[in-house]
Amino acid sequence: MSSMMATHEGGFSRINMNRAGLWLFFVSEGFMFAGLLATRFALLPGTRPDLDQTVGLIVTSILLLSSFFMYRAETAIAHGDRSTFVISTFLTMVLGVVFLVGVVGFEWLPSEFGPSDGASGSVFFALTGMHAFHVLTGVIFLFVIFTNGLRGVYTAESHWGVEACALYWHFVDVVWVFFYVSLYLVGRVA
Amino acid sequence: MSEKSKSSAMRTGVVVLVVLAVLTVAEFVVGTVTNGSLVPLAIIALIKAALIIQYFMHAPRVLRSDQEGGGH
Repeated sequence: MSSMMATHEGGFSRINMNRAGLWLFFVSEGFMFAGLLATRFALLPGTRPDLDQTVGLIVTSILLLSSFFMYRAETAIAHGDRSTFVISTFLTMVLGVVFLVGVVGFEWLPSEFGPSDGASGSVFFALTGMHAFHVLTGVIFLFVIFTNGLRGVYTAESHWGVEACALYWHFVDVVWVFFYVSLYLVGRVA
Repeated sequence: MSEKSKSSAMRTGVVVLVVLAVLTVAEFVVGTVTNGSLVPLAIIALIKAALIIQYFMHAPRVLRSDQEGGGH
């Protein structure tokens, strides 16, 4: 029995402990993002920043599509399909970069307000900045599993790195589901 | 795992993606029509998050004790 298969007391394997640890990390991250959302509704009750709706819809669609390709990559490696895994991971990574370019290049740079220009600016840059940082770390994580995938590190039986990356990427997507609604759609333009 | 279970899992992914896309458009329309009413938008966002957590993140997998690797 390999070390990956070794079970702990109560029948939980190493992989189960890894999963539990990662989900606990998501819970702690969730509290941090929930705090940012609470700040948004406390500082801008009934209003929202004046943002480009088209950009918001496009970057949201890109992130959802990237989550689909991440799911496809994980499903592929779980079935031993390495080529689909590598291609799908690459597409996820590219879509992640496009999302970052969309937020930074088409929302931050043309913005008429900065982080210090009142509540709208503070809320917008704090929420999108923290989320963009997580997307950036996710892209780095994707690059790691992509290069590992090219070297044939993962198999159908052992691919915890891919699973962890997929979970992290989907978590970042879930966060954006709430950030998109609260930044772009809820309330009247301030 | 078989080719059949792989294509079934891939199909699930496509269905979830389509539903998420439809809900995102619905969000956009509701946000525009209702002038940004919080309740309907929050409900749609919760449904989208639940779909991602259930199908893409395989949330029930964390409670199982007998799976290795991807667990599809």
